[in-house]
Amino acid sequence: MRKLQAIIRREFVERVRTRAFVISTVLFPTLWGGMIYFQATVMSRQTRTNNVVIVDGGGGPLGQRVEAAMREAQLGKGAEAHPKYIVARIPADGRLQEVKDSLVRLVGLRGDSVGHLDGILVLSDTSLTTGAIQYLGSNVASPAEMESLEDVLQPVLLTARLVRENVDPKIVERVSGRVKLDKQKVTEGRETGESGTTSFLVAYIMGFILYIALLMYGIQVMGSVLEEKTSRIIEVLASSLTPFELMLGKVIGVGSVGLFQLAIWVGSAFLITTNLGSVLGMMHASPEAAADIPVPSIGPGLAVVFLLFFGLGFFLYASLYAAVGAMCNSQQDTQQANTPVTMGIVVGFMTMFPLLNEPNGTLGRILSLVPFTAPFATPIRYSISPLPLGEVLLSVAATTTGMLAVVWLASRIYRVGILAYGKKPSLRELARWVRTA
Amino acid sequence: MGDVVVRIDHVTKRFAGHVAVHDLSLQVPSGGIFGLLGPNGAGKTTTIRMMMNIITPDEGRVTLFGGSGTGRDLSARVGYLPEERGLYKKMKVLDHLIFLGEAKGLSRVSARRSGKAWIERLGLGDWSPRKVEDLSKGMQQKVQFIGALIHEPDLLILDEPFSGLDPVNSQVMKDVVVEIARSRRTILFSTHIMEHAEKMCDRVVIIARGEKVVDGSLAEVKQQAGARHVALAFTRNAANAGRVLADRSLVARVDDRGASAEVELAPGSDGEALLRALVSADVGISRFEIVEPSLESIFIAKVGAEAARPAAREEVHA
Repeated sequence: MRKLQAIIRREFVERVRTRAFVISTVLFPTLWGGMIYFQATVMSRQTRTNNVVIVDGGGGPLGQRVEAAMREAQLGKGAEAHPKYIVARIPADGRLQEVKDSLVRLVGLRGDSVGHLDGILVLSDTSLTTGAIQYLGSNVASPAEMESLEDVLQPVLLTARLVRENVDPKIVERVSGRVKLDKQKVTEGRETGESGTTSFLVAYIMGFILYIALLMYGIQVMGSVLEEKTSRIIEVLASSLTPFELMLGKVIGVGSVGLFQLAIWVGSAFLITTNLGSVLGMMHASPEAAADIPVPSIGPGLAVVFLLFFGLGFFLYASLYAAVGAMCNSQQDTQQANTPVTMGIVVGFMTMFPLLNEPNGTLGRILSLVPFTAPFATPIRYSISPLPLGEVLLSVAATTTGMLAVVWLASRIYRVGILAYGKKPSLRELARWVRTA
Repeated sequence: MGDVVVRIDHVTKRFAGHVAVHDLSLQVPSGGIFGLLGPNGAGKTTTIRMMMNIITPDEGRVTLFGGSGTGRDLSARVGYLPEERGLYKKMKVLDHLIFLGEAKGLSRVSARRSGKAWIERLGLGDWSPRKVEDLSKGMQQKVQFIGALIHEPDLLILDEPFSGLDPVNSQVMKDVVVEIARSRRTILFSTHIMEHAEKMCDRVVIIARGEKVVDGSLAEVKQQAGARHVALAFTRNAANAGRVLADRSLVARVDDRGASAEVELAPGSDGEALLRALVSADVGISRFEIVEPSLESIFIAKVGAEAARPAAREEVHA
C-alpha cells in the first residue's frame, strides 16, 4: 500500500509542480470565459440607443403608429431606463426610391453635423397587407437588435391591421398582450431558480470538461508510461511493484491531478458567482447586471453523477492510454497507436449534441449503456432532466462492468509491453500478450 | 552464513527464436560477494531478471531467502541496479531517492534520512536539489546505485555496476560494495570484466550461452584449473617466444599479450622444459613464475576465445 501511495504521490506532485499545470489551470478558464463573454455580448439584448429614420412611403396611419411605438420603446428598467430609438419620420409618398437612396449613403457614417445613423426603416404602401418592411442598417448583423426591432414592429402591424378591419382600438389594445413564458427548471421535485439557458449551459460545460479532461489526462498517462519505458526506470519499479499496481498508481495519480484542477476551477467559479455583485463592481459594471448573467447551479445529485462518471470514464480511457504507452517505444509510435482511444473520447463527446435536443430518447438510453459513451451521455442527460435512480444505476453497472473488462485487458497489455522493446506489436501479437499468463 | 540466499533450480527461459538460459542451477550463499560472469549475451541479465521476478522462467524455480515469495514480495529485502540505467530526468535528486526508497517500502521519513546520508557519502551533496537531467552520466549512475541500496537490503543485485564509470567513481562504488559484504549482507553482481570479479568476488559462476560452465569459490575455481600456469614477461625477441609457445607438446593454451603471456602447460610437460626452450630460442625473460591461473585465463579457457572476444574488447573502454 505504501508503495502504491509512493507512485500516486509522485505522479501527483511532479505534475502539479510543472509550469504546464499552472498555465493550463489559469489559461483554460480564461480562454473559455473570454469565449463565453464574447458570445454573450454578441448574442445579448440590445443595450444602446439606435438612430433610425423611417422612410414612410405608405401614406397611411401605419407610419405614424410605427414612429410612436418606437419612441415609446425603452431600454433597461427604472432609473436606468433610456429610449431604445431616436426616430425621425420622413414622408416619402411617391418618391420612395429617391429618399431611400439619399439616406442609404448616410447609414453608418459618423459625423458631428449629421449624427450617427444606424439604419433606415422603409415602409411601402403594401407593408400593411404583406407585412414586408425593409430595414437597411449598419447593425443588421446583431441578432439581438434585429429581434428587438421585430418585437416593436410586430404588435404595431397587428394593431394597424385590426383597426383597418374596424375593430375597436381599445379591444385591440386589450387582446394584443404578448405571452411571457417564464421558464424555470425543476430538479428533484424542487424549483431550482434555474432557467432553460443555464441548464443548457451546465450540460454544455460538463460535456466539455469531460472531453478535455479525459483527453488531456489520458494522454498524460500515456506519456508517463512511455517515459518510464524509454528511460528504463520501469525495470526498477517492476521489480518492486506488480504491473497492475504500477498502472493503477499512475491512473489514480494523474486522475487526482485532473480532479484537483477541476476543484480549482469549480471552487473559483463558485466564489465568483456567489460574489457576483462585488466582482462586477470591481469591473465597473453595475451590480444589477448580475441578474442578467446566467448562474448555473449544480445539485448534489448531478455532482455525484458527474464525479462518478468522470471517475469511471477516466479509469476506462486512462488505462487504455496506459496500454498504448506500454506497447510503443517512441512519441511517433504513440501518435498513431492512440487514435482508436482518442476516437472513443471524441465520439463520446459528439453524442452530447443530439442528447441536448432529446435527452431521453432511445439513443440516449442506448448511449448510457455503452461503457465508452456512458461517461458523457449519462451526466449530460442527467443535467438536462434528472434520470430515475434505476436508470442511473443501470448505467453505472454497465459502465463499471465495461471499465473493469477494459482495465483487465489494458493491464495485461501493459504488463508485457513495459518490458518489451523493439518493433511495435501487431494486433496478433497483442492478442498473444493478453493471453500469456 | 551457510544459508542460501538465491537458489536457481534447473531454470530455462526461451525468447522468440532462442534459448536465453538453459537448465541453469546455481546457489548464492548468504554473505559476501558473488560474481555472475559471462560474455555478452550469455544470459546474465535474463537470469537476474528472473531473480527479480520481472520475468518468469519457462521451466524450473527461482527461490529467494529459501522462501516461496517472489522477488517482488521480498523487494524490501532486495536491492536492484538494472543493466539499463534510467531515472526520471525532471525529478530532483533527493526527491527521486525518496521515491525509490518508498517504492521499496521505506517510510517517507526514513527514505529522506537515508537518501541524504548516501548523497553526502558519495559526494553528491551539492547536487541534491538539482534535477537529475543536470547531472553527468556518472553522477546519475551513482544516484541509481544509491537507489538500489537506500533501503539497506539483505541482498543487493547489481547488473554490470561498474560499466561506464571512471576509475575514481568505480573505486567509490567498490568500497561501498565491500563494506556491505563485510556487514554479512550479500552482493550479487554480474560483469564481463574479469579483473573486477577477481579482485572482489568470494564466489563466481561463469555462464556461457545460457549454461553454467564454472561454479565455486574463487580459490576452488583456481585450484580446479590447476597450478600448471606460468606467467611470463619478455624483454626481447618476443616473436621467437611466440614460436616456442605455439609448440603444443610444451604448452596447452596461451593467453598471449605480446610483451607478456600467461600459459597453461601441456600434459607431460613442465616449467623447466618451457624455460629451456625459451632460453635456447634466445628470448629475453624478465618474469618466469609458476602461478595460479587468473580468472581471465580460466574464463577464456572455459568460454572459448571466440565468445570472449567482445568481452575483451569492452574491457579496453572500462
